[in-house]
Amino acid sequence: MQEEKCAHTCEMVNVDYGFVITEKCYNCDKISTYFSLESRPPLEEYREGDHFWNVMESAQSFRFDLKCTKCGKVEKFDNLMGLMMCTGCDNTCEADNLRIILEPDRTWVYVAFGFLPTEEHTQLTEEKIAILENYFNQRRKSSSSRIKIISHESVKNIATCYGEVIKDLHMLSLTPPE
Amino acid sequence: MKLQDIIDKLNLKPLTNMEERDVEGVFISDMLSDVMTSAKSGEIWLTVQTHTNIVSAANLVDVSAIIVTQGKTVPQNTIDLANRYLVIILSTPKTTFEIATEMIGIGVKNR
Repeated sequence: MQEEKCAHTCEMVNVDYGFVITEKCYNCDKISTYFSLESRPPLEEYREGDHFWNVMESAQSFRFDLKCTKCGKVEKFDNLMGLMMCTGCDNTCEADNLRIILEPDRTWVYVAFGFLPTEEHTQLTEEKIAILENYFNQRRKSSSSRIKIISHESVKNIATCYGEVIKDLHMLSLTPPE
Repeated sequence: MKLQDIIDKLNLKPLTNMEERDVEGVFISDMLSDVMTSAKSGEIWLTVQTHTNIVSAANLVDVSAIIVTQGKTVPQNTIDLANRYLVIILSTPKTTFEIATEMIGIGVKNR
């Protein structure tokens, strides 16, 4: 089937498990993130030009591509750092306002993040975000709800956002049985 | 199979608001990344995780319910978030293995 005429039905391919590493430069306070395929998360501090990077946290994560099962087209998502569910914490935030509009229709808002610093990494285009949204909505079958994925640019202040980031970090379950 | 049938047969304790749903299989993992990559819509997710993050992952892939095994205490903020996003959380003192075995016994099958 020709790509341009295909109503894509995608599956996740090229799944690689690794770590999303978050670093901070103690010279300029800039935050940087990247994906590591190493079997253990890197801990070393290092110099890079004027930057002096120190690891802040590492979260188990994965990266993937989406492949259309009909036409075979592959969309790469190696610049997607993760997804966050908007839970509504700031009514002056564009993401929260969209959540307020969509939640009554059982449409849940998720935010797609690229790697930091945003100005130094290629970010997800609107087209890629639409493909990602379409993929996750195609996976949904059991209830009459949908998801809406938006760019991180819609979040007013990431640092003070209470959204639920999907990552395998702070997941300790040490509570004793009831 | 209907979710309520499974709750009744396996004596699961609902921690959140309930609504009737079809169950089309079982997914077992304690990793959110596994859920994002491999869980299918309509499956019941068995886990020992109780962090609020489980709600965002379950909601993304539209699992029919989460069963928290081994009697782990689910924090109230996780339950509140689940209620808000219509994610059903059930609890059991049994292990993940025991519940998975019992599900096979009552005829729950993966698609």
